[in-house]
Order: sequence, then structure tokens, then C-alpha cells
Amino acid sequence: MVRLPTRARDWRLTARTVRLVLTVPVYALLALVVAALGLTLFVLSLSPGLFGFVAGGALPLGDRLAILLSLYPFVGTEFGPLAGTLLVAVALLFGANVATLVYHLREHDLSAREGGASAVGLVLGTLGAGCAACGTAILAGVLSLFGLPAALTFLPLEGLEFALLALVALALSTYWLADGMRGGEVNGCPVDP
Amino acid sequence: MEHRRAFLASVGLAASGALAGCLGRGGGRSETDLDAHPAAAGATDEPRLGPPLDEARGVIVAFEDPSCTTCRRFERTTFPRIESDLVGSGEVAFVYRLFPIVFPWGKPAAQALEATYDRSAEAFWALKAHYYAEQDAFGSGNVLDRTEAFLARETDVDAAGVVADAREERFDDRVQEDVRAAEEAGASATPTFYLFRDGAFLTRAVGAKDYAVFERALGG
Repeated sequence: MVRLPTRARDWRLTARTVRLVLTVPVYALLALVVAALGLTLFVLSLSPGLFGFVAGGALPLGDRLAILLSLYPFVGTEFGPLAGTLLVAVALLFGANVATLVYHLREHDLSAREGGASAVGLVLGTLGAGCAACGTAILAGVLSLFGLPAALTFLPLEGLEFALLALVALALSTYWLADGMRGGEVNGCPVDP
Repeated sequence: MEHRRAFLASVGLAASGALAGCLGRGGGRSETDLDAHPAAAGATDEPRLGPPLDEARGVIVAFEDPSCTTCRRFERTTFPRIESDLVGSGEVAFVYRLFPIVFPWGKPAAQALEATYDRSAEAFWALKAHYYAEQDAFGSGNVLDRTEAFLARETDVDAAGVVADAREERFDDRVQEDVRAAEEAGASATPTFYLFRDGAFLTRAVGAKDYAVFERALGG
């Protein structure tokens, strides 16, 4: 049965599990790499034409790198502080989520509480990351079929709702991963002391 | 987040571009040339900063909406450096075209901008800057009244005449020419920029892109 994290101790369990996983250097590195990759995929998905130009054009390497770097939040001006913070938070949570999942798959035999909660966590985590990257694009495609190309701009947060949704999905996913790891140990410490 | 909407359009554009490549091109001008690119159709008569298009090394054709908040961020963060450095160098031209698709007050604002441009380019750029500077204060109910007050206070143009023309949509054909150019070029979001160098199309950029994008692609 899948439970919702309604109590403070549920969130404490989640935070402790993730913290324990990230104390293992290789998993901390994995989380950072995945976060960076996720953020990179996201910003490039917003500028496919520009990326094609940079990748295939005749610009010097320094100019190409400068253009690509400028697409990232807080490096360039494309995202405001709120959008930038949300995107970085989604990327970091995605990295922690994947690191926790990989630890769970590699280090546990998945027999402690079996994969029920973990599987839900995995699906939701994927949906969460995917919804930040593709949600608005898919919605925009659907809306444009009905002649509403600018409808997204009427959302109160102009599409950032999808990043918020991703944040919630990833948080829930991480909780269910942690819930699935109850009774196990991470880095020699009990997940649920 | 308007620029996200460009993703699917870009995929479509890439597909149609690939198809065009498969079918081959006839002789003469190609759509990669500035003078044949849909984004630049009629652009020589559009509001422009910098040298004439046929003399500019780099050309930026911008499709913007006065009511678009992402355009406002671009106008605040990137445009001042484009104006001072790239346009100021005398080698890059910036063309402003209207694509009022965001909030309803952008449409009467577009009419007022065209009516102002017909009278004075200087007043046009001042009004454009005013829309972005005071964007939160505008709405469908007050845009033309505030426009008239600004033009009367800050410019020499006939403010009442501009607003009367805007109400009657006297310059709607110019607005529609911009909208048509945007749509035929594949734009579906604001701001969308088409970059050209030495008369050839380079790339399209959507969103409040950093100055580095324009400087690195067109400078040097």
C-alpha cells in the first residue's frame, strides 16, 4: 500500500535517507552529475534551434561555449530568479532522487519492503523530471491545436506551474524510495533508527 | 515561459527544413538569405536601429509583444547592451516587429506603436520603452489613455491623433504584416529573434536570451 508523507517524521525519514546516501562520495558525485545533466537537457530542450546552430555552426569554440553557458539559470538572463531557483531545485532533487534509487537498486536486495513504494517512487520521479522538461511543450502543442498558442501565458506563473509540479512529484518520489528502504542500512547506518 | 511553446514549432521547422533539403532548391534566392527570409519580409520599412539592412554585417529581427513579460526581461537585461554595443558599433541593425499574442492590451498597444511610428521614429522607440518600463500599469481599459498621456507629455507627436488612429486601427495592415511575417517564419512565442550575418540566416532564438548569444553570434 502506498502512503502519503503526511507526518513530519515521514519527511525526516526522507531527509535522513537522502543524507545518508549522499555521504557516500560516489553517490554524491552521481547526484551532482545527474542534476547537471538534467538541467542541461532542460535548457537545451528550450532552445533546439540555437543548440543546432551552436553545435553545427562555424563559430569558434569559445563563442560556442559562451552561448551554451548563457542558457543556464543565473549564468544568463533567460530565467528570472524565481524560475532559476525552481529549475535548479528540480535538478538537484532529481539528482538526489536518482542517486537514492541507484543506491537502493545496487546495495539493497529489494526484499526489505519490496519494491512497491520504490516502484511508485521511480515512476513518479521520472514523471516529475519529465513534466518539468516536456509538460509545457506538450501542453503548448495540445493548446495550439485549438488555436490557443498564447494560452500558457495566462497561467498565473506562466508555465512555472510545471516546475512546481515536478518539485512535488520528485519530493513524493524520494519519500517513497526512502519508505521502501526502511529496515535497511545506508553506509552502515540504519535508515529508520 | 512563452519560449517553451517554441519547442514543437522548432521541431516542425526542422522537419520542414529537412524536407526542403530533400526536395532541393531552385536557383536564385534561398530562404537562408536575409532578403528572402519570411521573418525579414518587408523589414526595410520596419522600425530599425542601426545601419540599413543591406549595409549591416549583422541583423536581428525581433518579434515582440509590449504586454509580454519575457519581452520585458529581454528589454531590461539584454536590449540595452545590444543597443549600446552591437548597434552602437555601426555594424548591427536591430529591427523591432510586433507580434501581439500575449495579453489583450498588447493589441491596441501595437496599433498605437504603428500609428506613432508613422509620425516619428524617435517617439516610437520612446513609447516602446515606456510600455516595458510601466508594463504592470497597463490593461485593456487604460492602455490608450495612458499612451496618449505619455506621448503628450514626453514627445512632440500628435498624441490625440495617434490614439484616434489606434482606435480606428488605421495602421492595422502594418501590424498584420508583422504577424504574418512571424507566423510564416515559424514564430509562436515572444520574444523570438531571427539572426542574420552577412545577409545569411544564422539561427532563431526564443526567450529573453542573454547578450552573449547576440554578441557571440553576430559580433567578432
